[in-house]
Formats: sequence, structure tokens, C-alpha cells
Amino acid sequence: MFIVSQKKAMSSFFVMLMIAISLLLSGCAGNKAIEADPELIELSEADPYEELNRDIFAFNAKVDEHFAQPISQAYLWVTPQLLRTGVANFFSNLNDINVVLNDVMQGKMQQSVADTGRFLVNTTVGLGGLFDVAAELGLGKHEEDFAQTLAVWGVPQGPYLVFPILGPMTSRGIPGTVFDTAANPASYVGFPVQLLQMLNARANAEGALQFIDEAALDPYVFTRESFLQHRNFLVTDGNSEITDDVLLMEDDFYDDEEILSAVPAQEAAASGYKLILSSENENFGQAAELFDGATSSFDRAVDSFEEAARKIEKLQ
Amino acid sequence: MLSFFKSRWFRIGFILFVVSVGSSSAGLVPEAEIETREAVQTAKETPKPTAKEIVQIFQRELLDVMKQGEALGFHGRYTQLEKPILNSHDLTKVVRIVMGKKWRGLTAQQKTSLSEVFSRLSISAYAVNFKVFSGESFVYLSENETARGGVIVHTLLKRPEDKDVKFDYMLKKKGEHWRIINIIANGVSDLALKRSEYTSLLKRKGFESLIAKINEKIDNYAKQ
Repeated sequence: MFIVSQKKAMSSFFVMLMIAISLLLSGCAGNKAIEADPELIELSEADPYEELNRDIFAFNAKVDEHFAQPISQAYLWVTPQLLRTGVANFFSNLNDINVVLNDVMQGKMQQSVADTGRFLVNTTVGLGGLFDVAAELGLGKHEEDFAQTLAVWGVPQGPYLVFPILGPMTSRGIPGTVFDTAANPASYVGFPVQLLQMLNARANAEGALQFIDEAALDPYVFTRESFLQHRNFLVTDGNSEITDDVLLMEDDFYDDEEILSAVPAQEAAASGYKLILSSENENFGQAAELFDGATSSFDRAVDSFEEAARKIEKLQ
Repeated sequence: MLSFFKSRWFRIGFILFVVSVGSSSAGLVPEAEIETREAVQTAKETPKPTAKEIVQIFQRELLDVMKQGEALGFHGRYTQLEKPILNSHDLTKVVRIVMGKKWRGLTAQQKTSLSEVFSRLSISAYAVNFKVFSGESFVYLSENETARGGVIVHTLLKRPEDKDVKFDYMLKKKGEHWRIINIIANGVSDLALKRSEYTSLLKRKGFESLIAKINEKIDNYAKQ
């Protein structure tokens, strides 16, 4: 618990600042939405700046087409897959420091110990992170970042935004990215290193981008929806009852058919959220409860760490 | 953005997405035919497949096609997947949910042509995205009931060299048969994604453009 409180204290000022910025931005978005056409609100509640976002999205697509993609293609041509995986692993390993910080801030003590173990194993046995040895030992990568931590603390998502070059984000993602960048050692090494990171990431995303190109009728909407849904999936650690959205969508269908169910859809959807911690629940008191519950999971964390240590011994 | 696209889930999510597209596209023409065949079969064997079995049968057939993917080619995969998709998905319902309130505003002819291209797009998407096999397998996790008599079957796609992908199937009864109406890959709902895309396109460009865009996608898939 000492470690927890120390880290908490270290980042508390920064965190409060970030929350303030995030809240401010979400507030601005709300005002804009009220002025908009009612039908537009229905379609883009999360995206009040759609027209501007679309322009930036189109700009990014051009930049990618004329600049990032050709360079990425050349990079793909000259580098073997093994090297690209190694580079990706190396940056992913540095990112694990930030993952551990966010584990702690979200009260996931067991996971934070596992991720610390993962970082230590990959940094040593995995030769500075080039090889993901820890995954073989059952210490898989967790995706945690500060935007998710803010969500767990009850900061609302805010509007969907598309940034030049950087791409899709929500207003909650802005402080999130600032924190994540600050907590990543790669940010302090110099521009060529970051360029390599971006280039390698772009090259590895080739398949996904091609997929959007093939599958999307409207790449902008496709990207936005999959981004927002996946972020929600990460925030809730895969426990969100997204499937209930079908019930709401079905309303139109049933109206059409004149078959109305006895169960109102809203009620059903509301019962779908079983999480105690939810980004929907804007309650800062959650964080306190969360740290109380953390102690018990800490014991389990120690067990899992011992288990990992046994596996490492076996490996040697 | 880069880290988002970089993540493996993204690719997989899209594969799943494509699967669900495929699921929604089981053509209109053969449906009546299949239903009668099913009716004959079910008359003999009393127990009808449960929601879980429908999903598992479909996943097995999908893996089979992947295993012979390269030998079959696009058209071979399309033909082989058509029936399993039609037998496990309620594509008619999927199109209607995707179109939402806009469905009512369409003429009978528009509804027919939209359902038809939607089916072809869905099967094509499956045929393109499930062409190679590299040791993947599906594992059943659990199932739970939803309001209005739906069932969600939770499964995991295991990939030898990659992170697992969570595949949740939502099924509803069509008559006496369970049918898939949505697929959620790592939290990305195919139905919700399509609904946003289709309604947005309809609003911005109109019905003819929507049909033209779907046909363009089908043609591009067929070229692969």
C-alpha cells in the first residue's frame, strides 16, 4: 500500500489538472450539441463536430496516402518481419511502465504486479524488450492507459475528435495522451526514436488500414464507431454489455412490425450494466472504494507473481 | 491513432466485423428453399439445434473453408460459405435493424434490392477475410439470456501467434430456429457499426448511392 500512496501522491496534482481539462472540454461539446439539428443529434451524439472532424479525417487520409504509406511500404520492403516484431516489442515493453502506473491508479493491484513482472522479465530475459518472453510465461500484455484510468474515475468521455496526423481521440483522450507520453521513456530519447516508433506502428497497421479500405462504406463512420466501441471495451475490460444496444436498435424494427414487447428496451439496457465501476457513473468516490478493495487483490497478486516466478525457474 | 490501429484486436475486430457482414448477407433467393429443406429435416429429427449449436456448427464450417481457402479461390469460398451463412444468420432481420426507421420509408423494390446486395456483400466479406488457416480455433465460453428471448453465446477465437479475440454472438429465434443477428468482436458490435454507416450514408448521399457503394465493395472483393 505504501507504493500505492506514493505513486498516487506523485501524480495527484497532474491528475487533477488533467481531469479539469477533460471536464472543461466535455462541457464545451455539450453546448454545441444543443444548437444542432435534432436529427443530427440522434445520429452523432458522441460526435458534435462531425463536419470539422470529417475534413481533418480527409486531410489525414491524404497525408497517409502521399507520405506515410509510401515510406511505410519502403520500410516493409527493406525490413524482415522478425525485426519489425522486435521493434514493436521494444516499444511495447517501454509502454508497460505506463501500464503498471495505470494499473495502480485503477486499483488493479494483482494486474499491476503481473505487469511489473512482465516488464522485468522482458527487459532482462527478453533482451531489453525485443522478445516478448513474458507472454509465453502467461504474463500477457494488458492494454491500460491514462484515458482509461480517467474513465474509471468517472470522467465522461466527451466529444469525439479527429486530430491532424494523430487521428481519432475523445476529449478524455487528450489528458490521457499527455500523461501516457510523459510516462513513456521513449518520449525523452529524441525525435529519431519516436519516428521509428511511428513508422513501425504504421507499417504494422498496414493490414488493418487495408481492411477498413475494403470493408467500410464510409471510412469516417467506420473508424469512429469501431474506435469508440473498442475504447469502451478497454475501459470496462471487456465486460460491457454492449449487446443490449441491439434491444434499442430493435425498437424501430418492432415498431415497424407492431410487435411490442412487455419489457421496455431502456429498462433492459439499464440492467445490462452490471459494473460497479463504470465510465457512465460519474462518481469520484469510486476511486476511494476502489483502493479499499485493492488490498485483498494484492494478496492474490503476490500468488500470481510467485506462480510466474516458478515458471521462470522451470524455463531456466 | 497509430497505437489503436497497431493493436491486433483491430485487425481481428474487423475480421469479425466482416464475418458478421457475411452473416447478414445470406441471399434472399435460396432462403425459402433452405427453409423447406430444414423443415423436411426437422420433421425427422425432433431436437432442433440450440443457439450454442448453431454458433458452433457455423464456426466449424468457417474453419473448414479457411483450411481449404487457397485451393477454393474467392468464388469457391463464396459458394461453400453461402449455405452455412444462410442457415445460421437471419440476414433479413439484420438489414432491417441496420436501416432502422429508414426501412419504413423504402419502396418494396428498394427493400428487395437492398436485401439482395446486403446478402452478397456479407458472403463476399466472409469469403475474402477467411481465406487462410493458421491454426485458429474457436472455444465456447458461456451463454446468457437477454430480454425479449435473445441469447448471447460467448466464444473465444484462439490464435497460435496472437492474442485471443472475444467473439460474442447474439441470437434470436426466427420461427423455431435460432439465428445469429449480431456479432461482437472485442467489443465492436457489427450491427451498431453497420447501422451508423448505412444511416449516415443514406442521409448524406441517398439510397442510390448506398446501393452503388455496396456494389462497389462487392466488385472489389470479387477481384481478390
